[in-house]
Amino acid sequence: MSGLSFSVFRKELKDHLRDRRSVLTSLAWPLIGPVVFMVMFNLLASWYRQDRPLALPVVGREHAPSLMAFLERYGAQLEAAPEDYESRIRAGSLDAVLVVPDDYAESFSAGRTAEVQLVVDSSRQSARQSVLRARRLLEAYAQLLGTQRLYARGVAPELAIPVRVQEADLSTPERTAAGLLNMVPLFLVIAAFAGGMQVASDAMAGERERGSLEPLLLNPAPRSTVVTGKWLATVVMAVAAVLITLVGYMLVVRRVPLEDLGVKARFDAPAALGMAAAVLPLALAASAVQVWVSTYARSFKEAQTYLSLLMVVPMLPGMVLALSPLQPKLWMFAVPVLGQEVLAGEVMRGEPLGALPFLIAGASSLLLTVLALVVTARLLSQERIVFGRG
Amino acid sequence: MIEARNLHKRFGKKVTAVEDVSFTAEDGVITGLLGPNGAGKTTTMRMLYTLVRPDRGTALVDGVDVVQRPQEARRALGVLPDARGLYPRLTAREHARYYGELHGLSGAALDKRVDELLDLLDMRDIADRRTEGFSQGQRVKVALARALVHGPRNVLLDEPTNGLDVMSTRSVRTLLRRLKDEGRCVVFSSHVMQEVAALCDRIVVVAHGRVVADGTPEALRASTGKDSLEEAFVATIGTDQGLMQ
Repeated sequence: MSGLSFSVFRKELKDHLRDRRSVLTSLAWPLIGPVVFMVMFNLLASWYRQDRPLALPVVGREHAPSLMAFLERYGAQLEAAPEDYESRIRAGSLDAVLVVPDDYAESFSAGRTAEVQLVVDSSRQSARQSVLRARRLLEAYAQLLGTQRLYARGVAPELAIPVRVQEADLSTPERTAAGLLNMVPLFLVIAAFAGGMQVASDAMAGERERGSLEPLLLNPAPRSTVVTGKWLATVVMAVAAVLITLVGYMLVVRRVPLEDLGVKARFDAPAALGMAAAVLPLALAASAVQVWVSTYARSFKEAQTYLSLLMVVPMLPGMVLALSPLQPKLWMFAVPVLGQEVLAGEVMRGEPLGALPFLIAGASSLLLTVLALVVTARLLSQERIVFGRG
Repeated sequence: MIEARNLHKRFGKKVTAVEDVSFTAEDGVITGLLGPNGAGKTTTMRMLYTLVRPDRGTALVDGVDVVQRPQEARRALGVLPDARGLYPRLTAREHARYYGELHGLSGAALDKRVDELLDLLDMRDIADRRTEGFSQGQRVKVALARALVHGPRNVLLDEPTNGLDVMSTRSVRTLLRRLKDEGRCVVFSSHVMQEVAALCDRIVVVAHGRVVADGTPEALRASTGKDSLEEAFVATIGTDQGLMQ
């Protein structure tokens, strides 16, 4: 780095760090990810926790005494359902209600299929686990009775079960954890954009708006060194934001009841280093593009608007990846933003990757960086950019 | 020494900002570029300090062509441009130091130079205050300090006393005379006749993008046959619009 770039860099950073409010904005943004994560994880864990007894309100309890005895034996806490149970289920204060119709006993005694109703709201994530447990219990009861009836008639129960489905879950604990941790890469990439946004807007659009760009360009320093210095200051903030996010996640993961979910997260030091190696090259490219966009903007406000829009870019692939992780292909690593999100996701899932994807992703980011910096330096020698466009 | 040679600049297809401007500003002389608003003074200055590229013609700063070798020309120039924005979160001293560094100064030499300037501009009391909330006069002093930090042989000032009160105007004038006594080439532009009359050894009158008169105040009076300088200007430009404060 030339000495002149360093002078510009030092000035920009000093200037920015004195603006406490905007520094706080830049560095508080990345913390949103870990905080959201902690809240979500605790919620999920409280839904999935198995040690909670299954509370099951019942309508028409008196019609099926043996079913009730079975349910209670297997740990369900039965209670009378309130009148307005349907609206309560919709509101989420009840998970599921078992309705035993009046003709249950009659059908049951006659050996016909007796029906019970499980009233649920399937759009409620939080009720899913309770519903699943209630259904399993009911099915177990039905199977038990069916087997007993077949035995009573001298038929081997196996005849009634020609095929039994056994699930073999191939996902490793790390994979399951990653399923829940999928939003981590997204937030890391967003941090790479959020950290430098303030400096980038101020260093270019702000510089022109307050009338200090013209005097600055009167110095014999080449345009490229001025641009490099400003870019480096942006990079420092972006890198700081990414590292803060990463440390935030590491701290949060330790305090989150992952064990209650039956998952083991790979969020140790090597994984964190791998994610840093995946995302940090993007901080270079994101900062360079931000400086470029900011040079083009007419005012500080306009720059902030454009740069906020630019932050949406990582959200699109990030959201898709968080909902349904893609099978990584080599070309994906070459696309800035997408590459980093895939890469960080793979690292987190504990996949062995080798160096090649890191190199491809890093190289594509560097290419974008150089391109953006060269274009910006060119822009600075245009009169309409220096003096503002009328 | 600064030589402008047939500078011509046009913006878009219709607006011709500078038609044809030539003049020479000698070392040890204060040259005033006088003209009404919109005469092309600022564009001429911008071409001299290399931020606007002339469509035709060129200028030499100590023999260095501003079109061919702009970076080298900037080294020999100290400029107070039209835009004189400051960084509100930096102190006056930090402004001067930053520009000094960009001119390649460092260490003890830079410290010494900045201290000299702070004394010269009589701004010791505000040196270590952030420039946020500075008065117009204080702001111009900071802008001058950063423009002069590298000790340039040639000094260009675009409307230096614009918006200043009497005391600040006086100190700017004192500074310009001092720069002249040090043998530097000083060029400043103004639309205020009194300003130019009070300071300049040589006056270049610009109107409609052309030089319409060039000479000492005495020569101007003599050529127009008017007794007062004011009358001479009005006669030269053909109108007194925009010339009076």
